[in-house]
Amino acid sequence: MSSHYEASIRKPLIEGDKSYHDITVDIARPIETPPNKDWWIAFSIALIAFLWGVGCIIYTIGTGIGSWGLNKTVGWAWDITNFVWWVGIAHAGTLISAVLLLFRQKWRMGINRSAEAMTIFAVIQAGLFPIIHMGRPWLAYWMFPLPNQFGSLWVNFNSPLLWDIFAISTYLTVSLVFWWTGLLPDFAMIRDRAVKPFQKKIYSLVSFGWTGRAKDWQRFEEVSLVLAGLATPLVLSVHSIVSMDFATSVIPGWHTTIFPPYFVAGAIFSGFAMVQTLLIIMRKVSRLESYITLQHIELMNIIIMITGSIVGCAYITELFIAWYSGVEYEQYAFLNRATGPYWWAYFFMMTCNVVSPQIMWFKKLRTSIIVSFIISIVVNIGMWFERFVIIVTSLHRDFLPSSWTMFSPTFIDIGIFIGSIGFFLLLFLLYARSFPVIAQAEVKSILKSSGENYKKSRDSHE
Amino acid sequence: MKKYWKGLEQLKVQSDIVDKLEQNEFVEEIPVEKSEDKNSSRRDFLKYLGFSTTAAAIAGCEGPVIKSVPYVVQPEQIIPGVANYYATAIADGNDFRSILVKTREGRPIKIQNNKDAKSFNCSNARVNASVLDLYDTYRLQGPKVDGNYVSWDDFNNQIKGNLENLINDNKRIVLLTQTQCSPTTKLILDKFLSKYSNIEHIEYDAISSSSALDAFENIYGIRALADYDFSKAETIVSVDADFLSDWQGGSYSSGWSKTRVPNAGNNNSMSYHIQFESNMTLSGANADNRVPANPSELKKILAHIYSRLSGQPVNGSLNPNLDKYVDLSVKKLKSSGTKSVLISGIDDVNAQEMVLMINDFLNSDVIDIESPRFIRNGRNSELLKMMEDLKSGKISGMITSGINPGYSLPESEEFLKIFKNLEFTLSFSMKEDETSRVAKFLGASSHYLESWGDYEFKTGHYYLAQPTIRPLFDTKQFQDVILSLIGSDTNFYDEIKSNWKNNILSSGKTWGKSLQDGFFYDYSQNKLSIRRKRININSPFAERSNEFSLVLYPKVGMGDGQRASNAWLQEFPDPITRVTWDNYITLSISDAKKLKLKNYNVANGALNGSYAKITSNSKEIIAPVIIQPGQAPGTIGLSFGYGKKYGMSDEMKVGINAFNLYNDFNKIQKVNISKVKGDHEFACIQLHNTMMGRDEVIKETTLEIFNTKDKSYWNPTVMVSKNHIETKVTSPEVDIWRDFDRSIGHHFNLSIDLNSCNGCGACVIACTAENNVPVVGKEEVRRSRDMHWIRIDRYYSSEDTIQEDIKKAEEAKGFRKYKSTLNALEQAAENPQVVFQPIACMHCNHAPCETVCPVAATSHGRQGQNQMAYNRCVGTRYCANNCPYKVRRFNWFSYADNDEFDYNLNNPLGKMVLNPDVTVRSRGVMEKCTLCIQKTQKVILDAKRDGRKVTDKDWQTACSDACSDGAMVFGDVNDKESEISKVREGDRTYRVLESLGTKPNVIYQTKIRNNINI
Amino acid sequence: MSKNNLHVLFDDDDILLDAIKKIKEKKYHINEVYTPFPIHGLDKVLGLKPTRISILAFIYGCIGFTVAVLMMNYIMIDDWPQNIGGKPSFSFIENMPAFVPIMFEMTVFFAAHLMVLTFYMRSKLWPFKKAENPNPLTTDNMFLIDMESGDNLNKMKVFLKKTGAVSIEVIERDDNEK
Repeated sequence: MSSHYEASIRKPLIEGDKSYHDITVDIARPIETPPNKDWWIAFSIALIAFLWGVGCIIYTIGTGIGSWGLNKTVGWAWDITNFVWWVGIAHAGTLISAVLLLFRQKWRMGINRSAEAMTIFAVIQAGLFPIIHMGRPWLAYWMFPLPNQFGSLWVNFNSPLLWDIFAISTYLTVSLVFWWTGLLPDFAMIRDRAVKPFQKKIYSLVSFGWTGRAKDWQRFEEVSLVLAGLATPLVLSVHSIVSMDFATSVIPGWHTTIFPPYFVAGAIFSGFAMVQTLLIIMRKVSRLESYITLQHIELMNIIIMITGSIVGCAYITELFIAWYSGVEYEQYAFLNRATGPYWWAYFFMMTCNVVSPQIMWFKKLRTSIIVSFIISIVVNIGMWFERFVIIVTSLHRDFLPSSWTMFSPTFIDIGIFIGSIGFFLLLFLLYARSFPVIAQAEVKSILKSSGENYKKSRDSHE
Repeated sequence: MKKYWKGLEQLKVQSDIVDKLEQNEFVEEIPVEKSEDKNSSRRDFLKYLGFSTTAAAIAGCEGPVIKSVPYVVQPEQIIPGVANYYATAIADGNDFRSILVKTREGRPIKIQNNKDAKSFNCSNARVNASVLDLYDTYRLQGPKVDGNYVSWDDFNNQIKGNLENLINDNKRIVLLTQTQCSPTTKLILDKFLSKYSNIEHIEYDAISSSSALDAFENIYGIRALADYDFSKAETIVSVDADFLSDWQGGSYSSGWSKTRVPNAGNNNSMSYHIQFESNMTLSGANADNRVPANPSELKKILAHIYSRLSGQPVNGSLNPNLDKYVDLSVKKLKSSGTKSVLISGIDDVNAQEMVLMINDFLNSDVIDIESPRFIRNGRNSELLKMMEDLKSGKISGMITSGINPGYSLPESEEFLKIFKNLEFTLSFSMKEDETSRVAKFLGASSHYLESWGDYEFKTGHYYLAQPTIRPLFDTKQFQDVILSLIGSDTNFYDEIKSNWKNNILSSGKTWGKSLQDGFFYDYSQNKLSIRRKRININSPFAERSNEFSLVLYPKVGMGDGQRASNAWLQEFPDPITRVTWDNYITLSISDAKKLKLKNYNVANGALNGSYAKITSNSKEIIAPVIIQPGQAPGTIGLSFGYGKKYGMSDEMKVGINAFNLYNDFNKIQKVNISKVKGDHEFACIQLHNTMMGRDEVIKETTLEIFNTKDKSYWNPTVMVSKNHIETKVTSPEVDIWRDFDRSIGHHFNLSIDLNSCNGCGACVIACTAENNVPVVGKEEVRRSRDMHWIRIDRYYSSEDTIQEDIKKAEEAKGFRKYKSTLNALEQAAENPQVVFQPIACMHCNHAPCETVCPVAATSHGRQGQNQMAYNRCVGTRYCANNCPYKVRRFNWFSYADNDEFDYNLNNPLGKMVLNPDVTVRSRGVMEKCTLCIQKTQKVILDAKRDGRKVTDKDWQTACSDACSDGAMVFGDVNDKESEISKVREGDRTYRVLESLGTKPNVIYQTKIRNNINI
Repeated sequence: MSKNNLHVLFDDDDILLDAIKKIKEKKYHINEVYTPFPIHGLDKVLGLKPTRISILAFIYGCIGFTVAVLMMNYIMIDDWPQNIGGKPSFSFIENMPAFVPIMFEMTVFFAAHLMVLTFYMRSKLWPFKKAENPNPLTTDNMFLIDMESGDNLNKMKVFLKKTGAVSIEVIERDDNEK
């Protein structure tokens, strides 16, 4: 039994008296049983939001960016705010599956599948905004270094926006293959259980004919390890690069070297919050409490609390440096941020992101599901405001007072944002019904070490 | 030297063709009529030209004007793609200027200053924009009788008939026209009036200068306005005279600016300019000392100055604060002696007489009474009498020309009621405006660019106006109709020509040359005999009451309102308030507080203002309020020119008609004001009025410091920290990389002198015309989406002076103090210092916008321009965000062919004003100032074609060309001899936000103030 | 004497590992082992060589890096050097800092994708590929050893039962028919 030994003081990661087969059954259940009423309600709400968003996007492309609230001074507002927000959210998935894998954190196995799914769906939302925020989105492909009929007309590799294009597309595709590779054995499991011919067809198609040979498993583990090794710096680089959109500019409030680490911390922060939100619902709906346990939630809360505090430090540092730099524009930018016309946004950001996670210091609260759920929502609101504050309050009052103005969104701005949330939920709901939402192969491999019943029996032997 | 063969002819040893080609400077004839030849080539030219353009226009009426219409007869003077320039003159009753008209393929597309003209050569925004009126879809297409189109013959005959009847039963007819300073027109009218003895000619200026005219007449015996040459001035005391914009016809700014720039030429001196006024005017904003005072005080001030100079006692005392400044002015006037001048805009004969006498005491060189101005001639008494006669039915017929009394008369409603029912009404107009729409006979008159004309703006200064295009529609000019009415078979052109040949031209200058130049000067004028007149300076002053004084004024953009349907002018931001598409009540900060009238910004930053009701004997109007720093407490400003209702599209029908309150043609009216419900939505393009004590935006100092201290004190080179060592921002040390080599070829710089710029805004319109800048309309401007490539920022000081603002900001240490100070700095002072700063793209050598463009749509040109490749732009707007000067403009919608933006770009006729050298930008792309690259390239290519070197004076941008005040110098800094290189090396040179290291190619000249503190 | 294939099913990974050890001692030949999840040490007892796929990943990464450098040098320096905000487009080294992010991204991109592709190809995984696991339960909770039967089938069955096999299935080799 040596291979499976784990100290008995460690809390079991899989609760209840589970056998390998039970796991199979539990994971396959949501896929094999028809969705219930709640799912349909959720689905139709998401669908409506999504369609509304599509409508607004079509209108924008039809008439022009003028249908948004932007102006000559504030050239970006909700569009890029949403972009950064979604990218930030995306980061959690990769972090959970990659970084925790490198650190051999077995508890990740309960949640990594859904976290990665969330990553991919969030990146899709994020990718949407840079495209539709263009004045001429139909020319978006000009962003890629394509040889073209216009003579040697190339892209500009000095532009952080171009770095974004590369970073985001790399990030999206790499997370996708990482996720899919992990899915193969689980798809295979469902394929082999499937009775309906259509279902069988589909799952044998997506499982790429996985069989589970010893050699395959050997390669599988190696590939997962290397991908994790690659994804970890990748995920850090992506949000660093996103932050450079601002950090490399001259606008006071953007022109800040602290941005890369600060944005990454923020990303983990918001990402974990979003994972929290989704999983708390899913474990209930799909009856996966024994795999996504209270311990998972608590550990996530701790990470949220830590990253929240890091972000808080970043906010304070910004203020300090602004004052310390002695640059009048910098100083005013931050005075204006905190006390100017958009003080309320700054206030939201501070309370949601810095204050609210601090309650996680209390075990009672961080182990309460309802509290965790509320905080996870609050944090994501706060993180949206963080991006809004950075983008809009910096732009609306920059160097020459003559061009100072304000921004207020139109219903199109709002519609597109709601739409992206709808699209995200839509994808996630479909995923929850058709994908193995927990990496069952991995979970099975730790059943004996971390399964409650096995731990018990082992203890009674000794 | 290389010799290129132009043709076989050159093989011949003696070829007259080759010789001819070598002799002639121009291969094509310049369209100037050779002195005496019968078959005048230039008339033919106009025929062809006319045909082709009318064809284009007609074609335009069905489809897009892009549909090319081939020249049936290629006129030899027109080379497609090459512009022709014609000297002509505008005299619309409000603006009188000598101008150059740029035509392309026969279309007039731009107005420029006629720099060779000795006077009336600085065009303002309105004159620059007047070309757009030519292509106004609301223009009359032909003569109308009772609202139906008729032929001109029919029209003339009917009028003849009517006039015959009226003269037979001896009914009085009034011919009401704008001021006619045209010698030939006068001749014609004399004939006309002698033929129809029952017709009486009355001249009418919408905005009256009657009092000044009367005063001059009383003293110097002729009815005219004194002219002034401010370039000779050392001290200018202006009592309520906005001479930098429209006072007595304007066109004074170029003279004024000459004395405002301290340089080696005038051994670092500059004139002293003090302004006493009620409204914040352009002149007041540019004055060294500005003293707000209400109208009754203003007249006292004048009287006291007069008495202190003449020794005549005056009763009634001044309040001590004003008294100080009166003393100061008197001191200055005396010390400068003949180099000093006092001017006044007070609508009061007595006051105007004082002005003339004061300048007489001073024996001022600045005032020019030998050759006075004839551009205003209206007589209030005449007009008031006319109204009486109209009411009492003594007048049974009326002919109007070039004016719109139904809009601009104080009693316009009554006037229209009577006018409607007159037996005979004929009005010559370009539009169916308030008056002409109710006239029985409607003479469709031509735009001035389609007309002939000659003018004597001032004694001995003659100007010629020539058509630059054949009339687009079936229109005639007033004079031609009059000629046919008096049964002459000649036309106005012949009349002018003969009149000039017989009576005007002398000293061997030919008609042809004068026509080409657009002017003729005759200095052999006999001196005026001065009839000195003792002036009673104790004539009763209107004593200060608790009522408000309403001070009516013409807006820089709108003047007397005859161009109200001009989209460029509607979107032209007022230099002082920077509000577009509106007129409004201006009110002092303290009064606004008292009356609880507010200005505030809504969620998207746009400006809203409360409404107020002002009532003046039985008339009342409701108007929005702008709180105006510098407005004299107890006074209200309101501008003419708005609130027109007819002959324009609905978008243009903005504002309220101030002429309704112009009782007795007096710009000062006693009124009561009260708040009324509701808020008005303004379209103001500058929402923040102060500079927040930022010393890198505008650098300024005082004349004293400038002359006594070293440059390093008042304009130090900006230092930046490198490895914690203070380093000059100009040194290559602070660059991360090696710099590009910019020494080869041309490298363009634009210098803007904050001393000579008075914010008139002519450059803004010139740029709009040159670069096809779209008009976006009130709603979009309100959303801060104006498209102007050059804007003129206007900052008020928050303390008494801008220097104090900067000091205050520097001293604010500690969070609390800092916060309170900066919040305080957001508010303008009650009577602030004002500064204007034209801002266009800075064309930074290290441009932040270029590095961030993902598709390299904007990159740096070899000649220093920061270039936009419109068709490469995908519209991420990252460049605009990263521009520290916020000069980039985004095409939020497609502004051409879009019914949402129904301005000149939405109709084929309006599109004829487009400059074919500049593309019309499509939706979703970024645009901005190009340093008029199309103009610089033209210069280079021409020089190349002619195989000569480019000369410095060839370089011009639209803005620098339009600036008659020499505030803008443009040129090649690689040419060490060029003016720009010299200016650039000057001590006053600085760059905006230099510490950012953007290395702009647009440089500024530190503002020097000559203000005296007491 | 005919040789058949045996499909021996187990229901526990530890038992499976012991069984394989025993079978190896008996020098029986194991063709393949199918398991529902990765079992640590399985490759060792089976004596599989360690995979070299991570080395490949490194090489792919290097390729990606080179491609990035060459591409950006060609586009920004060679083909059309423009003056963009005064950045030194005349020298790759001086302009290089701006290129670092994309160099990194391209490295990761190539490494990750090419490695996964190699893995799919080597393990014969792609869409429409038919699954070859002899028993569907091997993706659920069963562990299957596919081995060649010895000379004495019954003796073997007894032996395997002793190792803890749940069921033993004899697959007739098709070459026996000939």
